[in-house]
Amino acid sequence: MNYPLITRNLAPLGFLRSPWTGLENEIDRLFESTLSSFAGAPRNQFPVDVYEDRDNTYVRAELPGVSRDDINVEMVEDALSITAQHKEDEESFSFSRTLALPAHVHADKVSANYENGLLTVILPKREEAKPRKISVAIK
Amino acid sequence: MSNASSIVSNRRDGSARPELETGATPTIRPAYRVKEKDDGFGLTVYLPGVPKAGLEITAEADQLRIIGRRSWKQPEGWTQIHRESTDAPFELVLEHGDSFDADKAEAEFRDGVLRLALPKAEALKPKKIKIS
Repeated sequence: MNYPLITRNLAPLGFLRSPWTGLENEIDRLFESTLSSFAGAPRNQFPVDVYEDRDNTYVRAELPGVSRDDINVEMVEDALSITAQHKEDEESFSFSRTLALPAHVHADKVSANYENGLLTVILPKREEAKPRKISVAIK
Repeated sequence: MSNASSIVSNRRDGSARPELETGATPTIRPAYRVKEKDDGFGLTVYLPGVPKAGLEITAEADQLRIIGRRSWKQPEGWTQIHRESTDAPFELVLEHGDSFDADKAEAEFRDGVLRLALPKAEALKPKKIKIS
């Protein structure tokens, strides 16, 4: 299921498409947070966190027990798409999330690693998006 | 989930301990599944972000307790933009009524998934009765 993720946080950056999107997402989130604690099996949603520092944006996704070969990370324009296939005995579940990201990601330099069931995607910022320190000479 | 749930039941309803015994840390219950085979139970617990060192499995008389502590800390200089996960440790308490032999239990932990093989106590194993 594709799901516009960071609507609430990126709304000030212009990603909000309808005045109701934020509310709908908030309702979805409420349902999710209520239901997720009862999850007996993995659902087709996985939690995602987004961080940034001066150089990179970081996306961390909880994907326990997924083989590295079954994780697919893609950048399509300004959206990051994570798809994972979880295989347990004869069963197979597919999970997918698409995140809208700020336009300043250096798509060619995106990297990812997987440890303890956590996927971390590192999205370097373009030079022009980094904060610059400019010394101003005072006369 | 198999009918093993009738034997391995959860303490969540009322009798659950909502906090770690060590303090007032709130915990969350991880996703898990139990499968029953002829000779034992297979328990799979999903503990993303928990390293091997953060895992604690205790088998008491009729209770199995699994605690998983996450190791990751937000590095300095990182700003949180969006958060869905939690730092709270995982805690799962299952009552099993002496249905398996804890001494023979085997655990495997990889990529945030704990797989426990819990051999059934002798008394519960199906026995063939020969007809003479």
